[in-house]
Amino acid sequence: MWLLAALARMQPAAESQAEDVESLRRVVSGDQGAAAVLYDRHARPLYSLILRILGDETEAEDVLQEVFVQAFRQAGRYEASRGVVAAWLLMMARSRAIDRLRARRSRVEGRTGEVQVLNDVPDAKPDVASAMLDEERTRLVREALAELPLLQRMAIELAYYEGLSHTEIAERLEQPLGTVKTRIRLGLLKLRDVLKHLNARSPRVGNPAEGPA
Amino acid sequence: MSMHDELKANAAGYVLGSLDANDRQEFEAHLAGCAECTAEVASLSPVVSVLATAVPQVTPRAEVRDRILDVAAGLKSSSVGAGLQTHPRPHLRALHDRKAPSPLVWLPLAAAIVIAVGAGIYALRLQRQVGELQARFDQAQATTAVLAAPDLARIDLQGETVAPSARARALWSRSRGLVFTAANLPPAPAGKAYQVWVVTAQMPISAGLLITDPTGGGSQYYMTPPDIAPPVAVAVTLEPSGGVPSPTGERYLIGMP
Repeated sequence: MWLLAALARMQPAAESQAEDVESLRRVVSGDQGAAAVLYDRHARPLYSLILRILGDETEAEDVLQEVFVQAFRQAGRYEASRGVVAAWLLMMARSRAIDRLRARRSRVEGRTGEVQVLNDVPDAKPDVASAMLDEERTRLVREALAELPLLQRMAIELAYYEGLSHTEIAERLEQPLGTVKTRIRLGLLKLRDVLKHLNARSPRVGNPAEGPA
Repeated sequence: MSMHDELKANAAGYVLGSLDANDRQEFEAHLAGCAECTAEVASLSPVVSVLATAVPQVTPRAEVRDRILDVAAGLKSSSVGAGLQTHPRPHLRALHDRKAPSPLVWLPLAAAIVIAVGAGIYALRLQRQVGELQARFDQAQATTAVLAAPDLARIDLQGETVAPSARARALWSRSRGLVFTAANLPPAPAGKAYQVWVVTAQMPISAGLLITDPTGGGSQYYMTPPDIAPPVAVAVTLEPSGGVPSPTGERYLIGMP
């Protein structure tokens, strides 16, 4: 089973995207099989991300359900110009999981939840140009993330997987705000370099924003 | 660092969604007119996509797949229960088809009936859950529609002297309605409730009641009449718990566009 899922993710991004768009179209026309196809293609990466954020299986299952229900209901309004289906689903999964994490946090912290309630939850901006989902690439970036200096990595993880703002990260890590900003920036630039090298090695899924220099 | 470099340094936080509200607004305003920063954002975005998948991969339980696909089926036919109740039938059919039923047949049959009843109850519970989910979802969808409205206006509200630390934000679209989020309101006394008002030049119009949680926070979507006069303010007052047609009680929050 895992092998099938891994193989599915090894498909060229463009091909997967065309199949996803077709499945969404069939969901709109009431085809139950298409819902199952979408579930089988995306449930694992979505669940993994949600579980990483929430750390609780029951809650992660609930959020996974919310994401798919939302996706199936909004299937008719999906526009390819807004990003590939995989990235669209991942963005929904992250933002719903973070919403829930914040609700949990403000329940625990009581009044200090104030700032979080008023900050609207900003979405991380996903890559809209390419899916970047293949297994090998992901593994290499995960390794690169693990090799970042600890505080850079923690700052990035708190921002992305816990939805904290720079100010909140500065408080959590007991670091000056400016230092946190710099660490996040340096860490992301380093990860970008890793990706660049990967893209140079396999131009097939290269980032269209970077033409030949 | 130059002014511009300082702004550009925020591109990383922007793609991660971690900029504080002020920085984000400043950066977004700058981004609209700056090709260099737009390119920086575009080049950092793939990193964020990869972060989404650079987590240990875990397959959800098989039951979750069944549950989600059952709900998906209900979205189309709006009768989730019907599909579920067919589950126990194969058990019954298998029993009836036996040519010479042994006395032991009663035991599995009883078990099958228990399963059938159990599945029926399960289906009803699922149906109720789907109904609740639907209501929450509709609320969320209305909220999202407001946030994405092309004519979105934002009004920040400050606490009055009775509640100086209270804050709120109203996001209003003439075509799509009002999303109101408040924090730090004192608990409403028994028999009282907070009411949200859209104040026009002619009169205050009630948007509706605002239920607050124990921390004094609350968030609510309200429909507003599309022909409403342009609001000059949004306010929150403390009123008798059922709400009133025009404000009578003390004002807790007010903000102007």
